[in-house]
Amino acid sequence: MFNYTFHWYQAFRALPQMLHGALVTLEVAMLSMVLGVAFAVLLAVARMSGNRVARGLATTWVEVARNTPALFQIYMAHFGLGAFGIHLSPFTALLAGITFNNAGYLSETFRGALNAIPPTQARAARSLGMGPVRAFWSVVMPQMFRISFPPMTNQMVWAILMTSLGITVGLATDLAGVTQGLNVKTFRTFEFFAMAAVLYYLIAKTVMLSARLLAWRLFRY
Amino acid sequence: MFHTALSLSDLLFLLKGASVTVAVTVVAVLFGTALGLAFGIIKAQFGWLATVPLTFVLDVLRSVPLLIQLILANAFQSIAGLGLSPFLVACVVLSLYTSAYCAEIVRGGIEAVPAVTRRAARSLGMTWRQDMTNVTLPMALRVALPGWIGLALGVMKDSALVLWLGIIELLRSSQILVTRLQEPLFILLVVGAIYFLMSYPIARLGGRLERRWREND
Amino acid sequence: MKSSILLGSLLAATCLATAAVADKLDDIIASGTLRCAVVLDFPPMGSRDADNNPIGFDVDYCNDLAAALGVTAEIVETPFPDRIPALVSGRADVGVASTSDTLERAKTIGFSIPYFAFQNVVLTREDAGIADFEGQAGKVVGSVAGTYEGLQLEENVKGWGSGEYRPYQSQADVFLALSQGQIDATVVTSTVATSIIATGQYPGFVIKGDAPYDIDYVSLISLREEQGLLNYLDLFVNQQVRTGRYEELFDKWVGGGAVAPGLTIDGVYR
Repeated sequence: MFNYTFHWYQAFRALPQMLHGALVTLEVAMLSMVLGVAFAVLLAVARMSGNRVARGLATTWVEVARNTPALFQIYMAHFGLGAFGIHLSPFTALLAGITFNNAGYLSETFRGALNAIPPTQARAARSLGMGPVRAFWSVVMPQMFRISFPPMTNQMVWAILMTSLGITVGLATDLAGVTQGLNVKTFRTFEFFAMAAVLYYLIAKTVMLSARLLAWRLFRY
Repeated sequence: MFHTALSLSDLLFLLKGASVTVAVTVVAVLFGTALGLAFGIIKAQFGWLATVPLTFVLDVLRSVPLLIQLILANAFQSIAGLGLSPFLVACVVLSLYTSAYCAEIVRGGIEAVPAVTRRAARSLGMTWRQDMTNVTLPMALRVALPGWIGLALGVMKDSALVLWLGIIELLRSSQILVTRLQEPLFILLVVGAIYFLMSYPIARLGGRLERRWREND
Repeated sequence: MKSSILLGSLLAATCLATAAVADKLDDIIASGTLRCAVVLDFPPMGSRDADNNPIGFDVDYCNDLAAALGVTAEIVETPFPDRIPALVSGRADVGVASTSDTLERAKTIGFSIPYFAFQNVVLTREDAGIADFEGQAGKVVGSVAGTYEGLQLEENVKGWGSGEYRPYQSQADVFLALSQGQIDATVVTSTVATSIIATGQYPGFVIKGDAPYDIDYVSLISLREEQGLLNYLDLFVNQQVRTGRYEELFDKWVGGGAVAPGLTIDGVYR
């Protein structure tokens, strides 16, 4: 059936290089998640605030992030901003694109979670003498994170998957970039990308598992 | 005054790309939903031990980047000498990808139907099939539909990746125009607007349905 | 006993071989279409006209080949990194896509004799402050992933020890990145550099000297095992030069008083 001889040896020899790429992938995903959560909290608060300008800006961000392809957003971060003379390196462009996307999706998650927290909680905190920021920070936000932890985990996995789009803006150091670099030199597409797929699966599983452990550690009563 | 070299025929070229995006999406969502429905029912109905192989496969489909799935499937079909067209490869991969997410949505929907309700249906003398089609699935649909709409829109956006197989869909056709006209910012904005117009109204509809159905609970 | 098994399998193999006698060349003639993989963001070899139809040296070359075979040509657009996958996956029959005949690639695909030859030059912006090839040291440079010049430039950057190399997935993205200042220079073939400057789309692009690379001979490509087709391609390239069609196409697409590059190497066959 197969008129093709697999060259697995070549792929195995490239494993250290690919593992190094996997680290970069994880790094981008984690950074984008930390930044994404920070922006998402701001966006969620802005969308629920009374300030019309803040609400309009936040709504635009969220709707654009949720209604255009991630690939488009990353391409835009590199070549779209480049037209304004803003030069993001491929790494930064990828990070910016994914952060933009993460923030858009997470802010909706957070908004849903905030709506699920009874307003009496905040009022109780205020009546204990806390300021509005303090009440949000130490009473509302922890509950918000607990409610939205499962969707946050999913978003983290998506962030990992999205890092593979960095090749379209010239990133060569992440897992997909390293794999494509090996591919264009040898054209052993199947072997190299199969290895990459296994590595992506392992990364995603590790992240899911650690998230579950973390949730158990953080959110048990 | 704003000036662009983007002509009417170029805009039509973009719309042709958009129609390819829609075609791939519709095929993938149709087949992906049918498969996902089957997988979801199997997963909700049988114990986890019996569905380990299925769960593993669906898990892989959700843990490996779509771009890599597309490249791998394309490489595999060439190695196996199947001679499939890129469009077909794209549809197969996207359908399986959709089914993996759809299965979770369906399972979630079915499990949201209280076990008592289902037992009541069965004790009224309904067969498993009658219970499924007349009681469980209609109730599950209400829970699952907003998620399913989100999935369908997600597939439309993710379908941009099929450009890697040489299919000229919306994003690829914009890159072709950027190459010729050298107006990256403007053309990218036009494309972003087209994606937005295809996605936003449906997303709003989904949100409205979700809210309205929640009120009735 | 053992020898009879051997004989049996040999016989079986022979039968199979005779059964599969129709090769790619036959398939193309029988199907009536020749599908050529062509890169369309690589003027003057391949680009698109105002109606977004494919044009260029490679497109004409493919049409000539189809005419010689008595079939109609179909252009399959492939970005550079996708040329060989397109061929291997059966989306195209022949690659007319400026493919450098490297030994690494010859492990996967088959090459005809060279049908064109490129000299590589340094393309940069006037304001980038790069005077020659060595001036790129320490700068951010880029090229198309997996091309002859891209692979060499990546090695050069490693050798310089500073600066950065960015592989893009298409020639268009490289020019876009260069014009926006994302990268400061690229190494491209002189024909492409001349033609892209001539279009006037990128004010500020300048050629700053040659790259010290060997002449980049490019070939038509097909599947490695399709000897019949590869044979045909060799003869076709030879005939294109012999009949003057090669010169004619060169004048049409490159021109500018330049002479079409020679396709032979002194002192060695092929």
